[in-house]
Amino acid sequence: MRIYLFRRLLGAIPLLIGIATISFIFMMAMPGGPDTMLARNSRMSAEQLANIRRNMGLDQPVPVQFGRWMWNLARGDLGLSFTRFQPVTEVIKERIGPTVRLVTVAIAISIIFAVGLGVISAVWRYSWFDYLTTTLSYIGLALPVFWLALMLQVVFALQLRLLPSADMNSERFSPLLHLILPAATLAIGTVASWSRYVRSSMLEVINLDYIRTARAKGVRALQVITKHALRNALIPFITVVALDVPFYLAGAVLTETIFSWPGLGRLFFESLRSRDYPVLMGLLAYSAVLIVLFNIIADLIYAWLDPRIKYQ
Amino acid sequence: MSKRFSILGCLLAASMLMGCAAPAAPAKAPPAAELPTSTPAPTAAPEQTTKGGSLTIGIIEEPETLNPYITQLATSYEVLSGVMEGLLGYNEKQAFVPMLAESYEVSADGLTYTFKLRKNVKWHDGKPFTSADVMATWKIIMNPDFGAFNTLGWEKITDLQTPDDNTVVMKTAEKYAPFLSYVGTGIISPKHKIDEGLDKFKQDFGRKPIGTGPFMLSKWDASQAIELTKNKDYWRGEPNLDLIRLKIVPDDNTLFVQLGTGETQMAIKIAASRYAEATSLANAQVAVTGSSGWTHIDLKMIDFLQDTKVRQALDFATPRAEIVEKLLKGLAIEGFGDQTPNTPWYNPNIKPRPYDLDQAAKLLEEAGFKKNADGILEKDGKPFELEYWVISGDQQTKQVQQVIAASWAKLGIKVDAREEDIKSIFGPNGYQFTKKMTGGQYGWTNGNDPDDMFYWHSSQIPKDPTGTGGNVQAFFNKFSFQKEIDDLTAAGVKEVDPAKRAEIYWKIQELLQREVPVIFLYWPKDIYVVPKNLTNFKPNPFNYTLWNAGEWALQK
Repeated sequence: MRIYLFRRLLGAIPLLIGIATISFIFMMAMPGGPDTMLARNSRMSAEQLANIRRNMGLDQPVPVQFGRWMWNLARGDLGLSFTRFQPVTEVIKERIGPTVRLVTVAIAISIIFAVGLGVISAVWRYSWFDYLTTTLSYIGLALPVFWLALMLQVVFALQLRLLPSADMNSERFSPLLHLILPAATLAIGTVASWSRYVRSSMLEVINLDYIRTARAKGVRALQVITKHALRNALIPFITVVALDVPFYLAGAVLTETIFSWPGLGRLFFESLRSRDYPVLMGLLAYSAVLIVLFNIIADLIYAWLDPRIKYQ
Repeated sequence: MSKRFSILGCLLAASMLMGCAAPAAPAKAPPAAELPTSTPAPTAAPEQTTKGGSLTIGIIEEPETLNPYITQLATSYEVLSGVMEGLLGYNEKQAFVPMLAESYEVSADGLTYTFKLRKNVKWHDGKPFTSADVMATWKIIMNPDFGAFNTLGWEKITDLQTPDDNTVVMKTAEKYAPFLSYVGTGIISPKHKIDEGLDKFKQDFGRKPIGTGPFMLSKWDASQAIELTKNKDYWRGEPNLDLIRLKIVPDDNTLFVQLGTGETQMAIKIAASRYAEATSLANAQVAVTGSSGWTHIDLKMIDFLQDTKVRQALDFATPRAEIVEKLLKGLAIEGFGDQTPNTPWYNPNIKPRPYDLDQAAKLLEEAGFKKNADGILEKDGKPFELEYWVISGDQQTKQVQQVIAASWAKLGIKVDAREEDIKSIFGPNGYQFTKKMTGGQYGWTNGNDPDDMFYWHSSQIPKDPTGTGGNVQAFFNKFSFQKEIDDLTAAGVKEVDPAKRAEIYWKIQELLQREVPVIFLYWPKDIYVVPKNLTNFKPNPFNYTLWNAGEWALQK
């Protein structure tokens, strides 16, 4: 097992380098750059612009810029933001906390509801409850996040005045209340898709022989479901969660924009708009590492939970 | 304010504010126009101004840095207008007012500027303001390793002396009319912060600027809010408000929800499409002022567009009045030139061309066009195909584009309406540098000085697609009237007498009206939403929002 882990981690390195290379190429292929608008500044002289370009390293050919970035990365230096002049690590650090907070709460809620709804739907398959949750799931999947967020905001904040409309904190409401609407927005779509997984997973397990045996033995219904069926049904579900989490941790742009949540999703969008290459590459590196890491974790969890699987 | 794009997204601005010094209006130029307001702007309260209180302003874009010399966004200047100051400033009538300089003198030959600085002014960290700060500011702006974005005006200084702590003498080599605007009203920074080193000045000062203004920056929560607390030792007197919080609300809809719930009390320069919604807010009032922006469609000097008759025809076929009335609900003024109607540089004797499709058709016929089998105008076997570009992301802009494109299509022009994000559209691969006939719709925002060489002069034609300069239309071919406009715009910068200067700019506007290098569309207005109990709020086109925030008060 340890050898397996070591091999996976080792294999992650060329993978990450490949991701970084492709990302860099795509990033540089975007039309315009951080210096585009400077050229249309009425007070900018040609020499000044040339200076600024040199400071940003933009006068070098793309492979050289990439090489420099990789070299700095190896030394732990993500560089300075082109527009903010702050170190990229600082820019990301300032915004990672809010994203992690929001995502943790959203995922926790999602797991609870997804498992609950999925299990009940599976156990009482084809009941009114099952049909209801199925329909709601499809609606939840189809709803545009942007619209959902706005609706929640208008109903609960503007009309009912029960919850704050945005931000992380304010004088009127506690931070916990501020978390509710954005977490709910993220959770609704997530629950919609995850509950489907749990349901189909449960259905696979529930009809197996050993469950019938347990029932025949007289084990109580609740115990059959939780102790015997659910534990096996959850194995693939945990994998799904582990694979989805890194995408959430990279930030949810739409939710963060509407609820003025100061997270990484907004940072990515802003940096994309202003072509702030160092920050973009920093965020891409961060997400790439997370995705690769969580992939490995998902595999490990799967092996740990399912005794039939052994890695060499 | 210097020339910049007035759109969401990246804006370039320098807080150089300039105007004519003499309050007496020159004979021919009209006095500064009254600011049109739809609701009476909150007026100065009588003797009792209530002290205390805090105000939350919602801003859509976060400043990327608050270092005044390396920021690209107008929103940074909105924040800085309450925190940092220059030697001089502008009042709401575009007249100079003394700020860090109590008085100034220009030598008889117009080459030497002497500023007498105000005494007993302190920086926000308690250190005294002296002439050494002005010297340090000049040095850092001109330092090529620092990379300041705005050097114009400052690079005209050949020598700067500080004979004592309260006197600054600047020498220049040639008469330069915009000097007092660009340099006189430029933001001054503290020497003791500049001396901490280039990197610290960029990073640390950019996060915590130290100024002399009525408010000081006390907190900046990244992507959340910037808090300004009152400067008790402000040289004009202690401000009334205790705290101004600039909350970053990136979504327009959220901003209005917050104005409705009261979580945010004020909004700056909202979209015209939101005006009706704003007026229905219970605790707010709406103030409308003129702005310094002019929205237009630039026409590339290539192929058919090089023919003046063609451009005049396009101008006749542009339904300006309809756009201003129906789409913008009257929150703009039909435009015809690059000087806005609230300044003495504006030529009131010119009228925009009326909407006349027949006249347009006639001009195109005179220019040698005939409709081909597909109903498209053709000349010498080449059909008239025009790409019409706008910056994506704004609903209102798209509507304007659709109306104009439909109208031009009626003439028989094949109009291809396109859009792209701001960095792509103005980048080296954008429409401005392709070999196709194109029109691009966007807005420039003027500074307080009428100097418009940037838009029209041949020296401002970019040398290549990555080069500097604002006269991008003439990239492939110069204007047919290039020499005339070169002479006029260059003369405008040398003429120091305000009356004579105004004459020059009036002539430029006549030339622009005649030759139509761009289709002028409209001058947008600025719309502010403020709480009902806010007094002394004086928005105007010549200053950023917080310019007189020291006077604001919230009545109980």
